[in-house]
Amino acid sequence: MPKILGMGYDLPARRVDNEELARELGRSAEEIEKRTGVTSRSYAEAGEGPSHFAAAAARGALAEANLTAKDLEFLIFATMTPDVTFPGSGCYLQHKLGCETIGALDVRAQCAGLVFALDVADRFLRSGQYRRILVAGGDVHSSGLDFSPAGADVTPRFGDGAAVFVLDAEGEGVLGAAVRSDATELERFWCEFPSSRRRPVRFLQSDFAAGKHFPKIDEPYVRKSGLEKIPSIVEEALSVANLRRADVSRFVFQHVFPDVAEGAAEALGVRERTSVGGRDGGHVASASLGITLCRDREAGRVSPGDVVCLATAGAGECWGAAVLRL
Amino acid sequence: MRMPNSRIVGLGAYVPDSVVTNADLTRLMDTTDEWIQQRTGIRERRHIAEDTGAADLGAEAAKRALAEAGVRAADVDLVIFATLSPDYDFPSSACVLQKRLGISGMPAFDVKNQCSGFLYGLSIADQYIRTGKARRVLLVGGEIHSTGIDLTTRGRDVGVIFGDGAGAALVAAESDSRRGVLSTHLHAEGKYAEKLWLEAAASRSRPRLTPEMLEGDRPAIFPRMDGKYVFKHAVTRFTEVITEALERNGLGIDALDVLIPHQANLRISQMVAMGFNLTEERMFNNIDRYGNTTAASIPLALSEAIAAGMIREGSLVCLAAFGAGFTWASALIRW
Repeated sequence: MPKILGMGYDLPARRVDNEELARELGRSAEEIEKRTGVTSRSYAEAGEGPSHFAAAAARGALAEANLTAKDLEFLIFATMTPDVTFPGSGCYLQHKLGCETIGALDVRAQCAGLVFALDVADRFLRSGQYRRILVAGGDVHSSGLDFSPAGADVTPRFGDGAAVFVLDAEGEGVLGAAVRSDATELERFWCEFPSSRRRPVRFLQSDFAAGKHFPKIDEPYVRKSGLEKIPSIVEEALSVANLRRADVSRFVFQHVFPDVAEGAAEALGVRERTSVGGRDGGHVASASLGITLCRDREAGRVSPGDVVCLATAGAGECWGAAVLRL
Repeated sequence: MRMPNSRIVGLGAYVPDSVVTNADLTRLMDTTDEWIQQRTGIRERRHIAEDTGAADLGAEAAKRALAEAGVRAADVDLVIFATLSPDYDFPSSACVLQKRLGISGMPAFDVKNQCSGFLYGLSIADQYIRTGKARRVLLVGGEIHSTGIDLTTRGRDVGVIFGDGAGAALVAAESDSRRGVLSTHLHAEGKYAEKLWLEAAASRSRPRLTPEMLEGDRPAIFPRMDGKYVFKHAVTRFTEVITEALERNGLGIDALDVLIPHQANLRISQMVAMGFNLTEERMFNNIDRYGNTTAASIPLALSEAIAAGMIREGSLVCLAAFGAGFTWASALIRW
């Protein structure tokens, strides 16, 4: 059973509060906070993609694991906002860390990317294919958001950053994970363009005005779905790990609407030991679960040996939960 | 308890009907049939003729693979879609494929590893099956390149090479340890990420898509390639990763019945074959008809090699790929 040797996270230095967004979005800071529940978030600078923050997070995680990049045998990167269209951010991270020629896999599962990547890593370790894997989740959303009044309901919800786990094949780390997808309602939370299905070219000058290159969220649907999916996947992952809710010292939930994650915790009756990310950092789709867990550790809310359960639901729809022993 | 092997029990391929010959391209750009054939071995490729996504092609290929395997789509435990040309910015083409096939509940995700994507996906499928978390994995490689390349003289070095298509494999648990996927080998070298790449949309640019990115001498929304550099590295890494697969299994090149190289460029495949003294009947290429379909090329070639009778039960088959990233990979399979 894989063991967690190290964790880390990194956020852009630039903090953006609601005052700063208010003018462009045509809403007061108070209105933004009331509407989104988010007070501030971090934004990358030009030239900084997800691999930039993942590299910093990885250095911290490797130092904690007392390893160097050369000790890694495989790298998995979850992102929905890659540094460039191709190759994947994993290749950029591999170069930034100086890993030589180990495989670098990029996984796309949107908001659930980090949990999917942990599940994939768990398989590669349990099968004996690799002994040590670095799992990174990172997103730079801020460069793809609508900073006009049309984006007022969506833009303030997102932030940038990355989180990393270093896993070893020997030990007890990933106790169980469950991941699922259902695309029946995929247009409820999506970003259509650029689209390879669009002829003659994926994106045209005339497309800028239509704003189809910005994410769209059907709020009532996505809220309802998240409230159903997070509790059910938590129960499923616990059952895979052969544990009960009472065995978990800390739950970490993430959703693009923070109050949905809180509602899921209420529904499970575990609100008092659940951390929900996003209110002070925005939704960093592929990284928030890792960022929140690292912060819980900094604050002493979790300690080595604790059982924690990460869970999220989002675009795709893809949702997942992972039960970990720290 | 012994882990089961994984085995490809069904294969399917699908390409759009619309054939684009080298002569057709000469009407769009300054190039010649002779130039294209000499450098790449490509005679024609397929381009979609109406709005069609990677997952639409993938769904057709998947239906064929499922039919061959005798597996219902709803009984698939995991969906993996390898593509660098997804249907939408998000969600993944794996999700779109689920919707096209009318299935839901099982996890679905995309692998973005360019020309090595299918083999990265096969390795993932292999781990899920070996560890018992999945019994039937639907693995699809699908690409729509024609909407992402510059089909003018400005972009001809890259534009002539790529084609649209999809291939699918149903990978299932196999109890006979002598059959199926024997080993998989995955590599990358991000140092060379920008020797073959497509920049925009790029999250590291602010904003990630601008009107300027669609224009100029080298628009950032089209791929760029240092062809000579890629060629040289491809020959070296293909050779290494095929050797690695054989050595891991204690086998030599003489044991290999068929090599299916990713269809990057016929001249690369020929150089690799020459290095191993592999005769023509031990390597399968179809790049002349489809161009480079990146993540789709291996299942597309594999299904045709089987139809041509080159691969039978018991054949030792090596799949190998090299491409953007750089990434490269191989899989050794006892058919």
